[in-house]
Amino acid sequence: MTAGITRICILGGGTAGWMTAAALSRKFKNLGLDLTLIESDQIGTVGVGEATLPHIRFFNQALGIDEPAFMKATEATFKLGIEFCDWGKLGDRYIHPFGDYGLPIDGLDFHQFWLKLRQAEGADRLDAYSYPVLAAERGRFKVPDGNIDQIGSNFGYAYQFDAGLYAGFLRTYSEERGVKRQEGKVADAELDPNSGHIAAVRLEDGSRVEADLFVDCSGFRGLLIEQALETGYDDWSEWLPCNRAVAVPCEANGELVPYTRATARKAGWQWRIPLQHRTGNGHVYWSEFISDDEAAHQLTSTLEGPALAEPKKLFFKTGRRRKFWNRNVVCIGLSAGFLEPLESTSIHLIQEGITTLVELFPKDRIDPLDAEEYNERMGLNFERVRDFLLLHYVATQRDDSAMWRHFRELTVPDSLQEKIDAWLTRGYVLKYEFGVFLPPSWIAVMLGQNLTPAHHDPRVGRYSIEDIRDRLERIRQETARAVDVTPTQAAFLQRYGAASGTSLRAAQP
Amino acid sequence: MSLNRKTIVVCGGGLDGNFVALSLAKTLGADFRIVQIAGSERRADNVFYGSATSPEGYNFLHALGLDERTLLLKSQTAFSYGSFFRRWASPQPWILCHHAPFPILAGIPLRHFLTRSGAPLEPLLISARAAALGRFAHPPDDPRNPLSRAEYGYQFSPDEWIELLDSLVANSRVERVRADITGIDHQGDTVSAVQVAGRERVSGDIFVDASGPARHCIGALASNYRATRNVAACAERQDVPQLGPPCRVIEAGPSGWTSTTHLQDSILKIRIDAADDNDLPATAIQMALGQLDEAWIGNCIAVGHAAWAIEPLTPAPMMLLQRDIVRLQELVPGSDDMTTERREFNRRFKDDLAHANSFHDALYIPETRPEAVPRRPLSPGTGSEALSRKIAQFKNRGILVSYDLEPFNEEDWTQNHLGMGRLPRQHDRQLDAIPVQQAEHDLARLQNVIDQMVSRMPPHHVYLARFKAYLEKKSHV
Ligand SMILES: Cc1cc2nc3c(=O)[nH]c(=O)nc-3n(C[C@H](O)[C@H](O)[C@H](O)COP(=O)(O)OP(=O)(O)OC[C@H]3O[C@@H](n4cnc5c(N)ncnc54)[C@H](O)[C@@H]3O)c2cc1C
Repeated sequence: MTAGITRICILGGGTAGWMTAAALSRKFKNLGLDLTLIESDQIGTVGVGEATLPHIRFFNQALGIDEPAFMKATEATFKLGIEFCDWGKLGDRYIHPFGDYGLPIDGLDFHQFWLKLRQAEGADRLDAYSYPVLAAERGRFKVPDGNIDQIGSNFGYAYQFDAGLYAGFLRTYSEERGVKRQEGKVADAELDPNSGHIAAVRLEDGSRVEADLFVDCSGFRGLLIEQALETGYDDWSEWLPCNRAVAVPCEANGELVPYTRATARKAGWQWRIPLQHRTGNGHVYWSEFISDDEAAHQLTSTLEGPALAEPKKLFFKTGRRRKFWNRNVVCIGLSAGFLEPLESTSIHLIQEGITTLVELFPKDRIDPLDAEEYNERMGLNFERVRDFLLLHYVATQRDDSAMWRHFRELTVPDSLQEKIDAWLTRGYVLKYEFGVFLPPSWIAVMLGQNLTPAHHDPRVGRYSIEDIRDRLERIRQETARAVDVTPTQAAFLQRYGAASGTSLRAAQP
Repeated sequence: MSLNRKTIVVCGGGLDGNFVALSLAKTLGADFRIVQIAGSERRADNVFYGSATSPEGYNFLHALGLDERTLLLKSQTAFSYGSFFRRWASPQPWILCHHAPFPILAGIPLRHFLTRSGAPLEPLLISARAAALGRFAHPPDDPRNPLSRAEYGYQFSPDEWIELLDSLVANSRVERVRADITGIDHQGDTVSAVQVAGRERVSGDIFVDASGPARHCIGALASNYRATRNVAACAERQDVPQLGPPCRVIEAGPSGWTSTTHLQDSILKIRIDAADDNDLPATAIQMALGQLDEAWIGNCIAVGHAAWAIEPLTPAPMMLLQRDIVRLQELVPGSDDMTTERREFNRRFKDDLAHANSFHDALYIPETRPEAVPRRPLSPGTGSEALSRKIAQFKNRGILVSYDLEPFNEEDWTQNHLGMGRLPRQHDRQLDAIPVQQAEHDLARLQNVIDQMVSRMPPHHVYLARFKAYLEKKSHV
């Protein structure tokens, strides 16, 4: 065995595996690391996971990936947010945008002014002050330019892409940087009798792959972290009980909108993700309250175009691995835990896992302190996402089915209850620094699901209603003007050199 | 929102009371009446607010009317790049300077380069170099200029600032009652009025206790101040012919320490010792360091020394006072039910105190030579587990563990660790891809750029004199 940690084995070639391979091959180039990725065509990947968060842009940038080329190769579209339908009440809809509402006034949050105006004399919806919401609703897009503090640029964006194509794209990238890919099915793992570390994995064809560090990206199975090391799983079904999904792509029909849609159903919710060449659809549900057949029927009967494949069934349990880094195994991706894709957080958690691993990447030995730090950080990430997802289910007035009635009875974690209370009292958002969702996200969901604050921040009391009305009106008009001069997403993709040409539909005027 | 006008009564006229009254008057509208009760006596505890602010104080002070023109022309305030620590954990002096962010080379944080090469941090930080050579200049806006990262705070005398604030308060809408507090009217945790000597009681809806360790208001409620340690302070001001460097100097003694602050016309020496030290002068001011369990009880909110006391070893006291005030501004209740505001205020209060204490505790844990820092017990409780994690991770491989919204940033922590002799065992692995020679070369070049910049900066006293002349000229136009 060579000195130090030099042989790295990534088990799994889904989104998690190839993202990990790409990042390690780039970040540790010139270090002579021996990177091997094992994947099995026979097993395949989970095959879903198409909607992302804005942070992925930084991941791609750090790899030096050219944006238009990547979008073209993965049939990607731009994503300005998620439209939520029927969550607060049947018939409701709102967009959770990647970006701020309005602009702060003298350091005070914009929404506080809006709350005051609304309480005093009524106001347009808060969305009217959000560039990304208005642009999304009108199917328009451009990349933000210049000053992020300016209307028309104060937003972020993400992508919707074909997960299989993204993995393929990163595979090419990684192989060009020396990652060895080994096809085959891993049968079992050999433990070192002294350290309890995994010494090697054995493939069905009899070959062995030894490594100093294993990254388990084997999906729900958790082949190394769970089957070999029996790390344990914290079950969060108590909070997020949806446990199955059925997914099916279909032909796109209509305008290429720059957002994902999540529509609440009686026993779960349904997603719609528009890509350039097709639309991804799925129904996430709680098997307690709906049969698999019924769930599949609900999905297939609401498709906007002909299905392009047989519906695929998926089974999961919400929660997290008790340790994300155990001995010489780090699990990333579905092997690390599962949180339903309501806010497109899984790929983001993969990215966090990779970034943290890079920062804590072992040198001469596997150090329990590194593992401890990794586990602390990732634990916090998972927990904060969980609270945000749960908010969508508990901030509801629906009682039209057993599932919704269940959520109305649920006692939520203190951390979440305090956030809701502070918002309801005065539109105050409890802040944290580490966690993916910033205050505008919390505002979007709480307001969008009819949690209306009783009061506003008293500091806006020093502005007269006339003054507030004028200021807001100016911002509203400026926002609308900025959207007016924004091209349609289809036009922008063309101009940007990101259109795949596969089957791009012209946006409707 | 109840349409009635609400009255906020601020109890206390020290640095804390003045800051809080003024800031409430500025940030709230006419639907809030602000009444301040300021006693006749000058409060001795002001010395425990220390004599330095951090860069984050700039906007805060500015918004209250303590802009640079006022501070420099109407008081002896001077600039501050930080504090030198002498005979503190190390025979060599080291600095805790304001500098954000630290240079990053090839995408890798600077500290990892230093771990590998063993080179010191200070020559690579422009504010540290300038402080050591007694030079100063305002940071330019251009981010490519290394001087743009040299952040600064102020060296000041609390007594002078109280006077400045007094006149700002007098010219504001704060209604001031000059009288001593004699008692409180309250039912359970709800205060209804403050009794004052020789006048009618002052009633209100919300009471802010800024009366310092006397805790006139919150002390009458079911509050609990947890004292951790008793210390004594002596302050002394000596005239000097010429302004000194833009940094304080902290020097360790056996059971305490002395800080030297450079003001325009004088130096301010503050000595902090254990309260049971035998050779303390009679003028020494005693203080129980510690904090309230809950700073907001009923309708009474304690800020500053009414809520906590911490050594003025770093700008922490002023940072905490600022945080108290900002927290209060953000949570001034709009209705009579204050449950939510109270809970959130207390949560943030505890976090802020724990983080600041953690940073100070870390300055009493030397890596070698335990005799090299003043003896003192560490503050008990919440901070400690977080601190062990911070120390263990930094020592292992230079990882900076951070918690939500800490007052001290990563740059502060890096200097604290390195200054105290906590050297990482190993560096970041990405650095292995950069040949040692190339890294040495890059560091040398960085140091060179800084040396050249600093050599062109004027001495602190020259810069300040010129800047004052400029401000004076401008105010005549
Ligand atoms: C219904 C659903 C919807 C989702 N939607 C989103 C979304 O919109 N946005 C988002 O960010 N995320 C989403 N996700 C999550 C996302 O799909 C995953 O996080 C992502 O695909 C990563 O998966 P993975 O690489 O961990 O696992 P997989 O894709 O399952 O990959 C596992 C890999 O391990 C290999 N493997 C397994 N066992 C063996 C073995 N014995 N030998 C050799 N190789 C083996 C497989 O061949 C495969 O290559 C969704 C998930 C589900 C279930």
